[in-house]
Amino acid sequence: MGSRSSHAARIPDVDSLRRETGSVSQASLRRLYDRFQALDRTGKGYLSRLDLQQIGALAVNPLGDRIIDSFFPDGSLRLDFPGFVRVLAHFRPVDEEEEGNRDPKEPEPLNSRMNKLRFAFQLYDLDRDGKISRHEMLQALRLMVGVQVTEEQLESIADRTVQEADEDGDGAVSFLEFAKSLEKMNIEQKMSIRILK
Amino acid sequence: MKRPHRAEEAPGRRRAQPGQKERAGGSPGSGSPPRKQAERRGRRELLGDRERGSAEKICRGRKKKDGRASLREQRAPSKREKEVRRKEEVWKQLKKHRSSSMASSTSSGESLSEEELARILEQVEDKKKLIASMRSKPWPMSRKLAELREAQEFLEKYEGALGKGKGKRLYAYRMLMAKKWVKFKRDFDNFKTQCIPWEMKIKDIESHFGSSVASYFIFLRWMYGVNLVLFGLIFGLVIIPEVLMGMPYGSIPRKTVPRAEEEKAMDFSVLWDFEGYMKYSALFYGYYNNQRTIGWLRYRLPMAYFMVGVSVFGYSLMIVIRSMASNNQGSTSEGDSDNFTFSFKMFTSWDYLIGNSETADNKYASITTSFKESIVDEQESSKEENVHLTRFLRVLANFLIICCLCGSGYLIYFVVKRSQEFSKMQNVSWYERNEVEIVMSLLGMFCPPLFETIATLENYHPRVGLKWQLGRIFALFLGNLYTFLLALMDDVQLKLSNEETIKNITHWTLFHYYNSSGWNESVPRPPLHPADVPRGSCWETAVGIEFMRLTVSDMLVTYITILLGDFLRACFVRFMNYCWCWDLEAGFPSYAEFDISGNVLGLIFNQGMIWMGSFYAPGLVGINVLRLLTSMYFQCWAVMSSNVPHERVFKASRSNNFYMGLLLLVLFLSLLPVAYTIMSLPPSFDCGPFSGKNRMYDVIQETVENDFPTFLGKIFAFLANPGLIIPAILLMLTPIPHQDTVGKSPISSFLSCSFPGTAHHSASQSQTLDQKAQGSGASSSAGKTVLPASQHLPVSRAPGVRPDSGQAQPQAHPWRSTSGKRAWRPPH
Repeated sequence: MGSRSSHAARIPDVDSLRRETGSVSQASLRRLYDRFQALDRTGKGYLSRLDLQQIGALAVNPLGDRIIDSFFPDGSLRLDFPGFVRVLAHFRPVDEEEEGNRDPKEPEPLNSRMNKLRFAFQLYDLDRDGKISRHEMLQALRLMVGVQVTEEQLESIADRTVQEADEDGDGAVSFLEFAKSLEKMNIEQKMSIRILK
Repeated sequence: MKRPHRAEEAPGRRRAQPGQKERAGGSPGSGSPPRKQAERRGRRELLGDRERGSAEKICRGRKKKDGRASLREQRAPSKREKEVRRKEEVWKQLKKHRSSSMASSTSSGESLSEEELARILEQVEDKKKLIASMRSKPWPMSRKLAELREAQEFLEKYEGALGKGKGKRLYAYRMLMAKKWVKFKRDFDNFKTQCIPWEMKIKDIESHFGSSVASYFIFLRWMYGVNLVLFGLIFGLVIIPEVLMGMPYGSIPRKTVPRAEEEKAMDFSVLWDFEGYMKYSALFYGYYNNQRTIGWLRYRLPMAYFMVGVSVFGYSLMIVIRSMASNNQGSTSEGDSDNFTFSFKMFTSWDYLIGNSETADNKYASITTSFKESIVDEQESSKEENVHLTRFLRVLANFLIICCLCGSGYLIYFVVKRSQEFSKMQNVSWYERNEVEIVMSLLGMFCPPLFETIATLENYHPRVGLKWQLGRIFALFLGNLYTFLLALMDDVQLKLSNEETIKNITHWTLFHYYNSSGWNESVPRPPLHPADVPRGSCWETAVGIEFMRLTVSDMLVTYITILLGDFLRACFVRFMNYCWCWDLEAGFPSYAEFDISGNVLGLIFNQGMIWMGSFYAPGLVGINVLRLLTSMYFQCWAVMSSNVPHERVFKASRSNNFYMGLLLLVLFLSLLPVAYTIMSLPPSFDCGPFSGKNRMYDVIQETVENDFPTFLGKIFAFLANPGLIIPAILLMLTPIPHQDTVGKSPISSFLSCSFPGTAHHSASQSQTLDQKAQGSGASSSAGKTVLPASQHLPVSRAPGVRPDSGQAQPQAHPWRSTSGKRAWRPPH
């Protein structure tokens, strides 16, 4: 018991972190910290891109680089533990009870539907202009289907996607349009990791 | 009307003053509840009496939730408040003692570490701060109350940790127990997950082969569960009582191997065919005696046999429909709209849980395929090719397939006929004895690929093509099954027609045996040995044996196919690849894919066999349980060792219900022949639990007549009137289509097809009824939900706003008369 609690104490500024990320429980914080340290092989106290690229599931993911990018906002090269938790807090399951008695004036917790969607959106929005352009879509498509589909077909797919989702006719998908097209998707459940209770 | 109104209004205004005063004069140091209460009162005063009336009414309504709040207004310093104050004092004291208690904790701390204590202290302090600052928080009153309650609970719970001696130890103990409890719950959850059979195996397969292959194994597991229940039913209520309490083997003719067969009865080849000692065992219908009750328990075995036969179908029907309904509920929530196909594919097609590179490759392939498919869809919807050619090809393909189906049907009929002739002959070879099974298995093996080849002519969309393929294989299996059944029925009729003569022979044999001359009349003759009594052919057992053989041979063929087609092929491809002219792995033979649809259809038809045969061969379910068990392990192994993942992983959730629909259809179809034989064929005269009766269901009548009081018997006779039975059945069926009218499942359409007028009508009736019920329920629940919402009205609304709907309530709330007076009594 003693070792565990001292372990918890080693996590830098736990309380502010918990406040910021909604109620990520102590136990999962501890688990995350363990994971963080396991990823940080050389024990340097932060994570670099290389550390994240070692993860198998990210390596095979066509959007893996984008996901890694999302851990490093503003072009920084170091990911410290609070940043790590902050990103992963997006994937905390939505607790309905908690949702019920939340104060509407407080900012939305990181694991709300909109924030989850926003996280997904910025994977596609490369230049961070708030819109997924046709060009960005083509890039993502190329990552996803590789060389097996001709360029022409890829373009027609991108065109169709824009055509479907685009409402204001600017030839790109804004966040609201993105959210609308995924309206029927059970984002709350799909973008949740159970262990982050 | 006006007078009291105005009269009440005046005090209302006057009341505002004390309220405000109180609010202004609230002591800053004391706890928040009095201030909050004051605040509440003050606000209510401002609302004016009309609203006050309604607010009070609501207050009364929510006594449960907030009863204490209103009580508090009655007797100013309530118990709660005192509690709070007491706690504050305790807290102050604690603050003083904090350092000392900390010190003591470090000295004694065997179970509570310093850090933990410090953390708890911190939290307690936080809570205290919260309570103190509650007043200034911009929260609605209800939230404040909730927070306050929570904070106080926390304090109550953890205060002990800060005390000395007993309180601390108690707290430590409690913490320890809480931790232990959490750990226990977690372990128990793990244990429960571990108890789900084959969960790990299936998960393993799912991660490698996708959910569609896993869905087959889940289906197999489900089937195993169902069969286990059926097995328990049949073994517990029929076979075990018979073995324990029935007459032993060899006591009566039906339980004895006939003299002619005795020599070979123990040979393996005979036993393998379920002849000999197998045939005359409790596994088959013919072994059971028609004694009404057996053993010291006076167990009514024939009755139990009949009821178990019926309940096997009843249970299966219920469980299939229930799982279909639950599948339906799950699938409706799945987000899959037609509007944003490309967006969906674009943004959500990757499965982020994939960690295996092979699976990832397949996912790439499947995403590509799905994109290609959508492109194909788009193109197909937009342009139309050579219509006449396509039509011609489709008609041709259908013609060819119908020819195949007819041919295979005739082949089976022919083979069954031949096998009847063979069974009359004496010396038949192994092939001739097993011809039916071999032919059926071969057809099942070669027809589906043939169909697939022909189906390429049709040039359907792959999804549509898959459905056609499933339907055709289904028709093939069904046709085979039914031709098999018809041939079997011929056999049964033949045996039945012979039965009368055999009956006479038996009678005469016994008669002659007992009355023959040349025996000393004074000494009674010993009874004829049971093996020597001539007996009938017992068509029920023959049917049971046929199903038994079919099941076993089906199982063997499946295993051999897997062994040859999958495992040996995989070995060949793997090891011969080193010394071959072309790339075997990527080129022609390659590795096998797991054939989901074929396997599922095989499973479904096998289950149909079990349902049909279990009435005549109670042991069949036992064999099937063994079969499913072995095939679970065997197929898991085969899939993992020698198959490659599908190139196109199709969705599992939908097809699952499609399979269930097929299963239901098979259940109905297998119910028909059994019901026919029970209802319209006379049971054999010298074997089985119903021998000597005119029809099998007479056993119910017999039981009712002999074991129930006479008036009940009369009631039953009245109820047995078909005019009552048919509406009753229809009535029972109505909930089925109604259960999933939402999802438009195959069952509802199936049922409404089979009973066009009645079922539909009654379904709609019950639906409207239910809608009414729902309507009332909704309104009542709406009422319920409205109430809590309005509870917040007096609190959350700005003080000056008057709700239009607020009505003056003439009858006062009990406390209003008292506390009201007290409250607005002008201060002297």
